[in-house]
Amino acid sequence: MGANLPWFSKNAAALGAVALSVGVLAACSSSSSSSSAVSTTSSGAASGSSSAPITIGASLSLTGDFSTDGQAFQKGYNLWVKDVNAAGGILGRQVKLTVLDDKSDPNQVVTNYQTLINTDHVDLTFGPFSSLLTGPASAVAARNGYAFVEGAGGAPSVFDTPSNQADHNTFDVSLPVAEELMPFVSYIQSLGPAKDKTLTAAFPSADDPFASPPVQLAEAKLKALGVQVVYSKVFPEESSSYKPQADNVAAKKPDIVVLGSTDVPTVAAFMSEFAQDHFTPKMFIAAAGPDQGAAFTKAVGAGNATGMMVPNGWYPSYNNAESQKMVSEYVQQYGGSASGVNADVAEAYAVGQVVQQAITANGSVDNAKIISYLHSGVTLQTVQGTVKFDSLGENSSAAAFVFQWQNNGSKYVQVLPTGGVSVPIIATKPAWAR
Amino acid sequence: METLVKGGGLIVLLVLAVLFPQVFANPAVTNYGILALIFATAAVAWHIFAGNTGYISLGQAVFYGSGAYAMGVAARDWHVQGTSVFELLPLSGAVGAAIAIPFGLIALRVRRHTFIVVTIAVFFIFQLMAFNFWFTGGSSGLGSPFLSWAPVPYNQNFYYIALACTVGSVVVAWLIGRSRFGLQLRAIRDDEDRARGLGVKAMRVKLAAFTISGAITAIIGAVWFYYLNQVHPQTGFNPLFDLTLVLMVFLGGFGSISGAVLGALIIEPLTQWMNTQPAFSGSISEVIIGAILLLVVLFMPRGIVPTGGEFITKIRTRGRPAVIPATTIGPASSASSASSVSSGDAR
Amino acid sequence: MAREITQAIVNGILVGGVYALMAVGLTLIFGVLDIINIAQGVLVILGAYLSYSLFTKAGIDPFLGLLITIPAMFIIGVVIHWAFISRLRGGERTSMTLLVTYAVALIIEGILFKIYGADNVQISPKYVNSSVHILGFYVGWVYIWGFILAVALVAVVYVLLYRTRFGRSVRAVMQDETAARLVGISVNRVAAFTFGIGVAVTAAGGVVFGATNAFNANSGYDLISRLLSIVILGGLGSVGGALGASVFMLTMESVVTIWQPTWAVAVYYAALVIVLVYRPTGLFGRKAVRAQ
Repeated sequence: MGANLPWFSKNAAALGAVALSVGVLAACSSSSSSSSAVSTTSSGAASGSSSAPITIGASLSLTGDFSTDGQAFQKGYNLWVKDVNAAGGILGRQVKLTVLDDKSDPNQVVTNYQTLINTDHVDLTFGPFSSLLTGPASAVAARNGYAFVEGAGGAPSVFDTPSNQADHNTFDVSLPVAEELMPFVSYIQSLGPAKDKTLTAAFPSADDPFASPPVQLAEAKLKALGVQVVYSKVFPEESSSYKPQADNVAAKKPDIVVLGSTDVPTVAAFMSEFAQDHFTPKMFIAAAGPDQGAAFTKAVGAGNATGMMVPNGWYPSYNNAESQKMVSEYVQQYGGSASGVNADVAEAYAVGQVVQQAITANGSVDNAKIISYLHSGVTLQTVQGTVKFDSLGENSSAAAFVFQWQNNGSKYVQVLPTGGVSVPIIATKPAWAR
Repeated sequence: METLVKGGGLIVLLVLAVLFPQVFANPAVTNYGILALIFATAAVAWHIFAGNTGYISLGQAVFYGSGAYAMGVAARDWHVQGTSVFELLPLSGAVGAAIAIPFGLIALRVRRHTFIVVTIAVFFIFQLMAFNFWFTGGSSGLGSPFLSWAPVPYNQNFYYIALACTVGSVVVAWLIGRSRFGLQLRAIRDDEDRARGLGVKAMRVKLAAFTISGAITAIIGAVWFYYLNQVHPQTGFNPLFDLTLVLMVFLGGFGSISGAVLGALIIEPLTQWMNTQPAFSGSISEVIIGAILLLVVLFMPRGIVPTGGEFITKIRTRGRPAVIPATTIGPASSASSASSVSSGDAR
Repeated sequence: MAREITQAIVNGILVGGVYALMAVGLTLIFGVLDIINIAQGVLVILGAYLSYSLFTKAGIDPFLGLLITIPAMFIIGVVIHWAFISRLRGGERTSMTLLVTYAVALIIEGILFKIYGADNVQISPKYVNSSVHILGFYVGWVYIWGFILAVALVAVVYVLLYRTRFGRSVRAVMQDETAARLVGISVNRVAAFTFGIGVAVTAAGGVVFGATNAFNANSGYDLISRLLSIVILGGLGSVGGALGASVFMLTMESVVTIWQPTWAVAVYYAALVIVLVYRPTGLFGRKAVRAQ
């Protein structure tokens, strides 16, 4: 094509590109210039005056693949900020939170955190949503010496990252995923070996680091108890349709279905297919989805939700003063009912609480001190229960509970482990509402 | 004289690019540079094949992700530590080339829309392989070895590595553009059957360009992997990656190297920056970017570089007697090649 | 095993019908206008949301609501074409429309996010989970309606293309745009109408997709690559081919899923590549409607 483009036009265009980029970047870095002495141990700039707000930065998936959870997380963070400021702030200083959208994209997450840390000079960082994004984000935080407390990156790949191995700056306040189905396994065990041998179970799971580890562990344990495994397959997270898998499971008519799901659409599709196949498993537990409150019941229909079980570290009726306060504030601000509160909200709120307690105990916002405090084996209280971090940064004191929807989808209650505040489990799921 | 000025202009550009991280040392700023240069390299690599042959490939992510995964597997299995990982970069290029050959042999047998869909299909096959094969870490992905640099030198080093890759790919693209090989590629773009008739060994030529493009993309994919420290099947093989590349190249001007670079340097920092502004965060940024793209396309339908070139030519030739280029009205493709003065650069 | 395979095949046919509904519009646009409408995925979601709103706010049954949503989507399609696509001229039109339709997709997605938020919803009329018992297993009514709708729409579009004057002009433009202009066909008007029809059909696709899947504004991305591959496999511009190709795709996936769900999609794409290499115009495409 036309080899005679005047040199100037060609080079002018490229020159223009550089000038434009330089201009844009210079403009947006207006508050930083070349003060590049970013040491690896300091947190943000000198926020010397005691009335200067504590600034916190976080990147969340407000759009993109993880948007449902990302937006729920944002609500949790915001609620915490509101409560903390209403109570006088931390160390007498108000808290200011900035949330940026990362569109569920790792490049954006890295850009966001570098902007928050190096341009906005936030004092602290909160984590993003999903193990996929937490890895690269925590590496950025580690390089800059920031503590990285998060509630939604629980897969082992988050803690195995080389940067966490080196700097140990990542802390997950939520339940480590691998063991979350153990209360359910214990329940099956409690039915006695004779009964166990008569049960059949299916284990369909999405190919995801959050969904498959607990399902695979549960399968191994249940098999050891004598339960017959009639279906055990992994399917791609993004299938064109879950219908074939669901039909294959239904054809085997298992008593128990343990579904490795990561979101509501997967569970909803299986439930809907089972209904069409006139198949109701006696027990149906999903790794994620039913714990999203109204987001779940809206998608599947409240009547169908009854009997659905899900493991989690928290639920709206949790008998904890702070948790109850958070739930009622949420309902007041966003409407709906208590059982409609998404578990992500509590995870996010707990992140704030952990960081708050670390700051208060240290008397400063210094990130290095926060990291060493959190690794000191101290036990902290949050809306999700107790938090105690092991050397990797996982919450070793988190207890797994199993929750169930009852009463035509209006009640979301703890059924396992039995004892305490737990409610009797609906042992056999009622037929689908048609 | 012209070459001197041309060369001088390019040297000025290079010096500016090299000085950039020294002047703006803030990692948040150099981060834009790194991501922009990574995409610029990938865009130039895309141009080497697609811009020259006219075959729109939506499968570059195959090489990008393969380069990343190859490095991850190699670093893990050969226990590579620290900065010696960068010695493995040429290996990722070899992996990219090795994949390009069978990929190309299959895909380059078809043309136009069919070719596009075949590249999409191969992309999905690779993404699924990343999920399912035993050595890829499955859905948990792979991590890259730890680099113990502090934030500022970390970004600066990656910036220079990415800059080197960009300069390298621009040089390769330029050399190809000037060579007989490039002439053969463009002949295929204009009319493949006629080129064949004139003695161009089409399959060999296309495959060579495809392989070079694949190798470069694999290398920059590995660099990206080291920068981000992790790769997962959905991020290494990201369906939006190719669309983004296509947008960048078309925005800048299809068929020119500077167009590809320009498109990347504009779109990548712009979209990243927009999401860091709380006012634009969320769904608004998508609407805005979509609107900007629409405006650009409507007013500069052939891309910025050709339209910019036209505009500058118009200014330069103001007052001179009008010269009517000999254009022929015919099928779309040869019409745009005939309007030689104002169309995209041959490179 | 035989029962499972039969069910898988039936599943494939039925879900293939759903995808056909979404792909028919795309193949029309692709075949006539020679543009890759990246926005097709998000337009399906838009149609699904429209039906969802009509259903939840006004109680109108989603299938009956098509009487409203199909014309609405037709108008939207014509407007998009008039506002953006018709203004692109010249040799790079094919490539620039890629940019334009992507931009339109971004804008529509952003607007949908703003209006509906990120929660997943599903269109759930009373009969959404009821099914009929045949051949030893159950088949959901929604899928049956969807398949019937797909066949009906394909028939309607086919009649439109082959039995009406307008259809003749569409096919003329498909074969040779310049010649069509020379015989007096208003290419611009044909293009606008075809685009409108292509988008209008997605309203039907949206209804069935929305009734069988939980969706939100982000769901359009996963769709478009599958739709593109269906359209090419079926043959550009071949409406019947779109139906055949989607049934082929979903049936293949469905059968492979019995053994290996993780590889099912890869097997489909591999089969696609093999077919296309030997028959580049697709299973049912005309031999070089446009010069290859």
